[in-house]
Amino acid sequence: MTAAARAAGGGRARADPALAFTVALLWIAIGLFVLYPIAMLLARVFVDHGHFTLGGVAALVTDRNQVAAFRNSLVLGALVGLAGTLAGFGFALAATRCRLAPWLVRAIDVAVLLPLVSPPFTTAIGYVFSFGPRGLITYDLLGIGNASVYGLTSTMTAEAITYFPIAYLTLRPMLAAIDSNIEGMARSLGASRLHVFRTVTLPLCTPGLANAFLLLFAASLADFATPLILAGNTFPVLPTQAYLQITGLFDLRGGAALSFALLVPALAVFLAQRFWVGRRAFVTITGKGAGQAPFDSFSPPARAVLCGACLALTLFVVYLYALLAYASLVTAFGANETLTLRHYRVVFSEGLRVLGDTLIIAAFATPLGGLYGVLVGYLVAKVRFRGRIAMEIASMINYALPGTIVGIAYLIAFNDPPIAITGTALIIVACYVFRYGATGIRTTVALLAQVDRSLEEASQGLGASGATTFRRITLPLVMPAFLAALGVMFIRSMTAISATIFVVSIGWTLVTVKILENMTELELGVAAAFSVVVVVLVFVVVFAIGRLLRLARAPGAPAVAGMLSA
Amino acid sequence: MSGSAKPQAIGVSVEGVTRRFAHAVKGDVFAARDVTLDVAPGEFLTLLGPSGCGKTTTLRMIAGFEAPDAGRIAFGGQDVTRLPANQRGIGFVFQNYALFPHLSVAGNVAYGLRVRRVAEGEIATAVRDVLALVGLAGYESQFPAQMSGGEQQRVALARAIVIRPRVLLFDEPLSNLDARLRVDMREEIRALQRRLAITAIYVTHDQEEAMAVSDRIAVMSGGTIVQTGSAEDLYHRPATPFVASFIGRANLVPATIVATAGDRVTVEALGRRFGIDAGTRAWRAGDSARLIVRPEAVTLARPGEPGALQGTVAARAFLGEKIDYAIDCAGVRLQAVRYNAGPGDLLAPGATVALTLADDALAIVADAGMGVSR
Repeated sequence: MTAAARAAGGGRARADPALAFTVALLWIAIGLFVLYPIAMLLARVFVDHGHFTLGGVAALVTDRNQVAAFRNSLVLGALVGLAGTLAGFGFALAATRCRLAPWLVRAIDVAVLLPLVSPPFTTAIGYVFSFGPRGLITYDLLGIGNASVYGLTSTMTAEAITYFPIAYLTLRPMLAAIDSNIEGMARSLGASRLHVFRTVTLPLCTPGLANAFLLLFAASLADFATPLILAGNTFPVLPTQAYLQITGLFDLRGGAALSFALLVPALAVFLAQRFWVGRRAFVTITGKGAGQAPFDSFSPPARAVLCGACLALTLFVVYLYALLAYASLVTAFGANETLTLRHYRVVFSEGLRVLGDTLIIAAFATPLGGLYGVLVGYLVAKVRFRGRIAMEIASMINYALPGTIVGIAYLIAFNDPPIAITGTALIIVACYVFRYGATGIRTTVALLAQVDRSLEEASQGLGASGATTFRRITLPLVMPAFLAALGVMFIRSMTAISATIFVVSIGWTLVTVKILENMTELELGVAAAFSVVVVVLVFVVVFAIGRLLRLARAPGAPAVAGMLSA
Repeated sequence: MSGSAKPQAIGVSVEGVTRRFAHAVKGDVFAARDVTLDVAPGEFLTLLGPSGCGKTTTLRMIAGFEAPDAGRIAFGGQDVTRLPANQRGIGFVFQNYALFPHLSVAGNVAYGLRVRRVAEGEIATAVRDVLALVGLAGYESQFPAQMSGGEQQRVALARAIVIRPRVLLFDEPLSNLDARLRVDMREEIRALQRRLAITAIYVTHDQEEAMAVSDRIAVMSGGTIVQTGSAEDLYHRPATPFVASFIGRANLVPATIVATAGDRVTVEALGRRFGIDAGTRAWRAGDSARLIVRPEAVTLARPGEPGALQGTVAARAFLGEKIDYAIDCAGVRLQAVRYNAGPGDLLAPGATVALTLADDALAIVADAGMGVSR
């Protein structure tokens, strides 16, 4: 950004009433749906009858169960971070350094994206089908009658499988961007492959690995559905404890305090990622790619081991989903395995209203969230106005915080006047727009950073006014970000649960919540059928948007799946 | 487009234009400081200088992409200082071409015409004509990403000239091309500018490119224009040591003014006296100065030449068609260049040689060191 852009932008901001109006409108919206709920949450924790109190927090610290939940959450997050980063790095190495056939890489891509675009507990359900008391492996194969699937190991494994694609998606472009000549150079100086890997590749990747670890840690910390299904009674974690506190004991203050306990590590991770990892990046991802044939990084045996491990994990993911599909097609998985469509009949009769509700909410949240993301992204990236950085930070809050916190904050803020919207569709739509619209902001900012200012100057030099330039040049270039943001909004609207489980009502409920209900009522077949329907719907939309992105022909088009990991 | 009537070319005048930037370490930095220029109608003027000399900033202010802090810019007598870029009627060719990636070649070229609401039929004709003019006939439906650097450059050029700009501005347009293509393209740009008779201002850091295309060159350094003139003027009569060494190679030999007489001065250097043109500066006897000796103005001969200076060959670099010599002479190391007349003509290091300097190829500049404010 030069002084020219600053001057032009600043001038526009002061002179343009339409812009001032847009900025004011966005501030009101962000204030209402981001800042206000968080403030109300903090007030609920720290204010009692108009007085500051530490009672809520003190109650936590003294309750052994809650302290255990806090510790469990951290342990689980660290383990998931380690396991997921390791798996993601392995996949990224296989994809970029093993000269696999392109079709094989694409097939692996599709398979590992399954967990990422499914509802977050799908892996957990598949896991139960495989390792539960009536699981295919535990019961049918090993003959163990009452296998205990619940606890740390299962939760950790299911979460690692669910979230390792995030590590893969962030590490792969990084490895691809490392000029393989650097590795070739080290090799030519006489270093063995292992030595090159240890002294060149790995150090260059360290910031990326740290970043992936933090992303996975945060994802695990925020994950609500997997522990609800797999953690069991002996392994409480913060999000589930907060949920039970509120829905089971109707203790809003206790739930708020628990979610506040969640906020502390979440914030620490966010800050570490932003200010520590961000400054240590050696590899700049330009999107251009290094271009040359990859250097032979692995000896044949090492390559075989790595690719074999990745293939095994890929097959395991596919196996879990296949199990899910199978369970949706039999009468009672593990007991009566006659093929039937009755679960789907339930989905498309009794379940139709839930599907309809979800789709209606998605239909509103998707365009609104996409528009919000691109608008804020454009303003933040291209226009200088007062409070620009504050707006950028504020718009990220709901996204950076674990969904449990956001959900409880919405519940507290919007239950009572002045803004009582609990029980309406509006609260769910708002929750999605201000939480997941943030991915659109990030993509737009990233895309606009790649658009050289000379493009807009060229347009201006050819006689186009600011408005024409925006319409003819900037808008088409931002189109891919908008499309991708629509994709993310739709996927999240169909699959999210951690925040929205607190704001659904008898009037408006969601497929994901319904699936959890079915799980707890042991209607496993119906839960599986619902999951399959959601996965298929989401895949169709991701595919369609991928097609549209290719048609848009613009450079730097972000992939929808890539944005899910951002 | 070549068949239609040419618009009257206009002059560009830049008066006392200044642009400051706030720099985190250095405080206020002048990107351009009191820059004054007059470009005649139809003239091809080049702003030449090293990186950071302010040439691009000056060009961007002429284009209207940046506003000057002080000074005035006029196109054909009309003050455009406060006019936005889109109302100045300029054609701008960017270093990175700045082609719109989402538009085809035809879409890129037609862009300025569409903005001007030219009828679609006319646009199609104009696009076809201008693409033929830059040698890209039939490329209409290609996209920028599918084209080579040279082709992209031609599209950028076509896009700039199709709107019949009043002034054509180039910001290092050839620096992303390979050496061979650069030479071809600069000749094409020059021919096109002559044919369309558009006033052109061109920014480059390549002195050879500047000399090849320009009617006049303005040499910039440290945000100011150091000297303006034709390539010959600048080469033969540099105003400062900086110009002398930036344009071509030069020996800057310490010298003292011995006497002045009208536009001639007598200087003493290398233990000899030379009578040379005084240039624009008023000299007084006793002034210390630098004698500019171009390497090709040093004639080398076998020792014994009457009236010649004596020197010793310190080093040589064999370049095929010519040989670069470093000669020590009267305590000064001189660069000299000699065309290769055959293997028997080479001078070995350590050999004693006779040097003669052609008086009319010498110039004198003030002994201000290279000290141009940065």
